[in-house]
Order: sequence, then C-alpha cells, then structure tokens
Amino acid sequence: MAGDRIPIALGAAALLILVATPGLLSPFLVQFLINLFMLAALAESWNIIGGFTGYASFGNVAFFGVGAYATGVLLTTAELPFALALAAGGIAAAVFAALVGMPILRLKGHYFAIATLGVAETTREIVYNLRITGGGTGLTMPISRSPLPFYYLMLSILLATTLVNWWLSSSRFGYGLIAIREDEDAAAAMGINTPLYKTIAFSVSGGLAGLVGGVFAYWITFIDPEGVFKVSTTIQMIIMAVFGGAGTVAGPLLGALVLSSVSEFLSTQLVSLAELVNGLIVILVVLFMPRGLAEMIRKRQFSLRDFARNFREYRV
Amino acid sequence: MAILEAQGVTKRFGGLAAVSGVSFNLGDGEILGLIGPNGSGKTTLVNVITGALSSSDGDVRFRGDSIRGLASHEIGRLGVGRTFQIVKPFRNLTVLENVMVGALFGARGGARALSEARRQAERVLEFVALAHLADASADGLNVPERKRMELARALAMRPTVLFLDEVMAGLNPAEIDAAVVLIKQIRDRGITLVVIEHVMKAIRDLSDRIMVLYHGEKLTEGLPHQVLNDPDVVAAYLGRRFAEQSHA
Repeated sequence: MAGDRIPIALGAAALLILVATPGLLSPFLVQFLINLFMLAALAESWNIIGGFTGYASFGNVAFFGVGAYATGVLLTTAELPFALALAAGGIAAAVFAALVGMPILRLKGHYFAIATLGVAETTREIVYNLRITGGGTGLTMPISRSPLPFYYLMLSILLATTLVNWWLSSSRFGYGLIAIREDEDAAAAMGINTPLYKTIAFSVSGGLAGLVGGVFAYWITFIDPEGVFKVSTTIQMIIMAVFGGAGTVAGPLLGALVLSSVSEFLSTQLVSLAELVNGLIVILVVLFMPRGLAEMIRKRQFSLRDFARNFREYRV
Repeated sequence: MAILEAQGVTKRFGGLAAVSGVSFNLGDGEILGLIGPNGSGKTTLVNVITGALSSSDGDVRFRGDSIRGLASHEIGRLGVGRTFQIVKPFRNLTVLENVMVGALFGARGGARALSEARRQAERVLEFVALAHLADASADGLNVPERKRMELARALAMRPTVLFLDEVMAGLNPAEIDAAVVLIKQIRDRGITLVVIEHVMKAIRDLSDRIMVLYHGEKLTEGLPHQVLNDPDVVAAYLGRRFAEQSHA
C-alpha cells in the first residue's frame, strides 16, 4: 500500500525526535508531552472497540482505573517492583474487560453505551468501599525523582497501542472486527465468531488502557476513586478518536495532538474558554467531517456535500 | 444423496408459528426453488436453517450431522452460505473488501493471508461481472449491483450449499435473465442452491424442483411445471376466487 508510506515516514520521524529530545525540553513541556502520550494512547485503545468494532464504550475509564489501582496496590502494599506491578495491572484490566464484556457485548448501540457507563460507575463505587484500595482516602505511591522514565513508558505504550491498531487495519482479525461494525448479522453469516472477536477486542482495548492507568498512577503519585474513574476521561478518549477519525490508525493520534494542544493553549488564557472551544470543535467536526480529520487530510477535500447530508440527518 | 435434510422444522414467535413442521431434502448439486406468498415463512425457514434464529422444534442435518443449535458462524464455516433479502453490505468498505471478508472467513475458516483473500475476491468479482467496481465504495452501488456484491460475498465463502434470498427482487427483465444465467453457472461449479424468489419465470427456468410454503407449512413440492400449475398453489398466491377464474 503505497499511500501508507508518507504517514509511516512522518510517524517514524516524529518518534525519533520524541525519543531523542526530552532531555532538552522544559519541565513544563515534558509534563505536557507525557499527558499527551497518555491521552493519545487512551484514544487509540478506545479505537479498538469503539472505532474498529463499532461498540461505543462509555466506560473504558474503568479499565484505566483497574490498571491504575492494581498497579498501585501491588507497588505499595505488596511492594512488587514497578515493572511487575505494571504488567499485572495491564493483565488485570484485560481480564476484567473480558469478564465484563462477555455479558454486555450482547447489547448494542445505546444499550451497550449505558451498560459500559454503569460498569465504570460501579467499579468506582467498589474501589471506594474496599480497604485494600485505601477507599476514599486513596493510595500514595513512592515518589520518583525524574519524569523521564514516565515519558519513555507512556511513549512506549502509545507506540504499542498504535501498532496494535495498525495491525488491525491490515489483518484478518481486523477485517473481522470491521465486518462486525458494519453489519453483525452478515458478519456472523460469513463465518465470523462474533462473540469471541468482540470479547477479544474489548479485552485488548481494556488491557492497554490498564497499562496507561498503571503508569499514570506511579507518575501522578497519588490516586483516589474520584480522580481515576472520571467519566470525562472516557469522553476525552471518544472525542479525540472521533475528531481524528474513529476506525483509522492515525486518527486518534491526530485528535489527541490537536485537541490537547488547543485546550492547553486556551487554558493558559481562561479555563472555561478552553472547554467552550472544545465543545464547538466537536460540533463542527460532526457536521463537516464525520469521518474525522485523518480522512479529510487523506482525501485533501473539505466536503460540502457531507455537511449538507449531516445537516439534514441531525436536523440542526 | 441428500446433502441437507430438514425434518419437522418449526419456529414459533409466541403463539404464532411462522414455520411449522417443514421437512425437505436437498440433493447434492440441485437447485431447489422455494416460493410462497409474502409472510409464508420462507425467510424464517432460511434463518432457522442457517442459525440466525434458533428453532422451536425439528432437526436439520448437513452431510448427515445435525446442525441444530449451532451458531450462525459455525454453520457458515461448515459451508452453508446465504444472502439476505434486505441486503447487508459493509457500507464503509469497498466492493473488493466486502468480498475479501467472505474469502477471509467462510467455509473451513477461509484464507489466512490478506493477499490470498484479495486474489480470491478478485476472481469472484470477475465471475459475477463486478470487477470494474472493485474499488468503488459499497455504499454507492445501485440495487442490482448490491445484490451482485452480496452474491459475490457469499460465493467467496466457498459454500457447499447456498441460500439465495430474493436476489432478483428489484431487477429489470434483462437483469433477471442475466441473474438466471449466473445462478446456473454457480450450480455448475458444484454448489447446491436454494433459491427464494417471487419472479415465477426465473424460478421455472432455474429450479430442478420447487417447494411451496403457505402460512408456514409446506403446501407442496415437485417438478416446476407440476407445482406451478397446481390449483392449490395458484389459489395460495391469488386467492381461491381468482384461481377458479384462471382455470375457467
């Protein structure tokens, strides 16, 4: 696929620069980039179930939270080395997603969205009431000196998540997921084991979000249920993926880059202005480029026809 | 030898028996026409046999083994394919990609590599005369093209038995003639076919045998000229009064 060469070359160049330069950047910029990698990795992980498989999960923060807490508890109470605790956190989130996914992936559309929202809220309440998680008081991690390990960890997880998405875009398994998104009955009739495929997609999506959560917990050094299980974190994943282009590899990356840069810039001016502009951007995206930024750049056209169609469909 | 046997297949929705005690055999390599007025249970029967709906009673055997209770994808992998009356294209994919999904999955798990699936899909598109639209978006196709793509997708699954649910609905007479030729070519490739159709001329030209459903039950079964001239069949379609007039 020759059309893929330019984005791959751009991505590789960006990666090289990001790997080489953190020592030269200001502490503020390093923190901004760690946060950007985190949001981009979350958006890419959501893309697996929401973009490729077409199951709009509004509860992926639950897996982020389970990863954060599993890593946190193992790091503090069990005093495991961070690498082991992080791996266990990712696995815990993946297993949790698979177990939760088996029943709720039978639901579709709004019903699935509401069920996942419920899962996230319930998980937060459970964490609140457990002794091992520190309940409402939260967990405090050992303080680490330099932000650079977190920079490289988040960047690696982002890279891994992006590679998973890239593999999905060009593999038999990925075609199966896309077929489920497009028409689940037809997919099943063609021999695709839809329950299994959906559960694997949900589990991988959750496991990657769990890894991000594990790094987040150690980076931020203090976690509590309110801070970790925020609905707004799921919303951010969705908005970034959809803005950039759900179901594409580069889309969630672009979405995270543009939206977090815009909101970072605006919130230095006025926080409420940043939120207002974010909201406006989302509305404009849905109207003008429903397939996202990545698709518009690829086609190099700004479609008035899409705009007219969306105008009619949404009865603005 | 019968490749597929249905015995007393029944599907009830609450108190309504959409399909009731239907039995038939499908011979290897034959074309069975399945007709009946709207609402007579044809599509429900296909849904039950292919696992899209669970059956309330009865049994279906494929190559001698019961496939009752198997999931839709398991039956697909055994080599029983189908098209949908209301076509279900993968809208955001190209025509070629749609057909590739059939080649990647389908009977016996399909092709493992995308390149192999692409080659198979290209051959199938050539066969159904859609190769010129391979890179077109499935969303932009007109009705006859969509029907052809759905057929191509099912063929790419390399099925042994294929259920065609009204693939000719919405086609003009010339397109119907082309479809009849195509379906005969599919049979010549060794695929056993069940063709659901309202276009009587096509059914008569195609079928080795015809089975008629009426109110969910099997009304009759036999050779095309016998079945289509059967007063009961005419009455089922037109009502008793018109049937008597047509014989008067």
